[in-house]
Amino acid sequence: MVQINFALKEVNCKVVYYGPGMSGKTTNLEIVHQKAPEENKGELTSISTDGDRTLFFDFMPLDLGNVAGMRTKFQLYTVPGQVYYNSTRKLVLQGVDGVIFVADSDPDKMDENIESYANLIENLEEYGKDVRELPHVLQYNKRDLPNALPVAEIDKRLNKFGVPTFEAVACTGEGVFPTLKTLAAMVLESIDKIDGRNPRKASGKPAAAPAPANAKPAPAPAPARAAAAPARAAAAPAKAAPAPARRPVAAPAAAAPAQARQVARPQAAAPARRAVAAPARAAETASSAPKGKKGKALGLVVGLSVLVIAAAAGVAFFFLGQ
Amino acid sequence: MAAQKRMSQNDRLRHDRLTFYKEDIDRIDKLLAEFLRLSGAKCALLIDKEGHLVTKRGELRTIDIDTISALVAGSFAATKEMARLLGEDEFTAMFHQGERDNIQLSLVGDRTLLTILFDDRTTVGMVRLYAGETAKKLADIYREAIDRPAGDSGLDQAYGSDAKKTLDKLFD
Repeated sequence: MVQINFALKEVNCKVVYYGPGMSGKTTNLEIVHQKAPEENKGELTSISTDGDRTLFFDFMPLDLGNVAGMRTKFQLYTVPGQVYYNSTRKLVLQGVDGVIFVADSDPDKMDENIESYANLIENLEEYGKDVRELPHVLQYNKRDLPNALPVAEIDKRLNKFGVPTFEAVACTGEGVFPTLKTLAAMVLESIDKIDGRNPRKASGKPAAAPAPANAKPAPAPAPARAAAAPARAAAAPAKAAPAPARRPVAAPAAAAPAQARQVARPQAAAPARRAVAAPARAAETASSAPKGKKGKALGLVVGLSVLVIAAAAGVAFFFLGQ
Repeated sequence: MAAQKRMSQNDRLRHDRLTFYKEDIDRIDKLLAEFLRLSGAKCALLIDKEGHLVTKRGELRTIDIDTISALVAGSFAATKEMARLLGEDEFTAMFHQGERDNIQLSLVGDRTLLTILFDDRTTVGMVRLYAGETAKKLADIYREAIDRPAGDSGLDQAYGSDAKKTLDKLFD
């Protein structure tokens, strides 16, 4: 939820890097931290395991500075990508204003990308949010892999809502800033869109054909595709970034450093997910409890009524018999 | 279970954006100042569950407020699953004890956290006592802000175009 604070003269927005484990989410944030001007960035805080896997989240404030008299700040978060950390991911998503979904271009990771994107949609729904109405972009990371899936193929399988896409090699910094810039512009645009004074209301529809993030003219549905061959999307998109930002979109992603790519996917994923779902089911059960109590009370009333009627009938027969 | 609901435009505005005007913050600041006077605590921060600072009062060392706010919100959120497992909706207070400084968190309404920093100049009992009372009063102010009809954000008309220029400058 965007917070507009006129006393502090601040606008605060929350952006989350989402995606499967090891896709490069934390690497994206590290690059932003390394390259952002000193006066614009805060500390990068990580709650991670000894093996540098994100345990809860990574966090970094990014101060855009004064925008029309308001100090505008983005709070950048990553989520743990591993399937079994879904509770944590859900918590970090609370109040999110924009999502960067970092997908892995490794062909073997495509199923994980799809699963993670579906998980994002599901988690947003639990907060009453429709992914199509949330500003989001997709980043196809690890484009330097020799066997990287063609962008068109990833697009076809992942980009259901036609949101802006970017190619990236996060570990070298390529594509990191164009992705963030476009998403940031989309989030700020959404403030105007939900503004009563602005005639451009959010339509609630997905951006059918977002303008490509790169400067090259490309077929509308596949923004990043055109940049694939000679110049990477990462290198070019900045200039045209404000344009796609006008489109309402949303979707998280996750990226992982290319060099750590060999880490095996946790096999315990599926059961762990079920374990995470348990509290939700418990909550549902709890919420249905009052209905059970009502049923019991009704049964009691009906039972008592039958007894009273039977007793009255007995008395009547007794007197009639007399 | 998907909790997706159809929302009216007004509900959606309130859902997507929270605006605090100076009058709201002035009232909150006054309450926080009174709380600090009564409890003897060093500092009080009001932080929303998204990790954004709403306002602060009292003495602050050179700590990174943005990071503290994010971590406080994260730490509070992390207890929600624990609470759920115990059959609670969520915990309404948390306490972190240090050698010198301590932090007491109290839930205000359903989306804000009153974060109190205090040391051995007072006691946790005093802080908790006054924090509870203050949280109730703050919840009323907060509710008014949330229930306020969502209309114009009050941002300058040039905000959108200025934002684009700022992004160009920062990222290019």
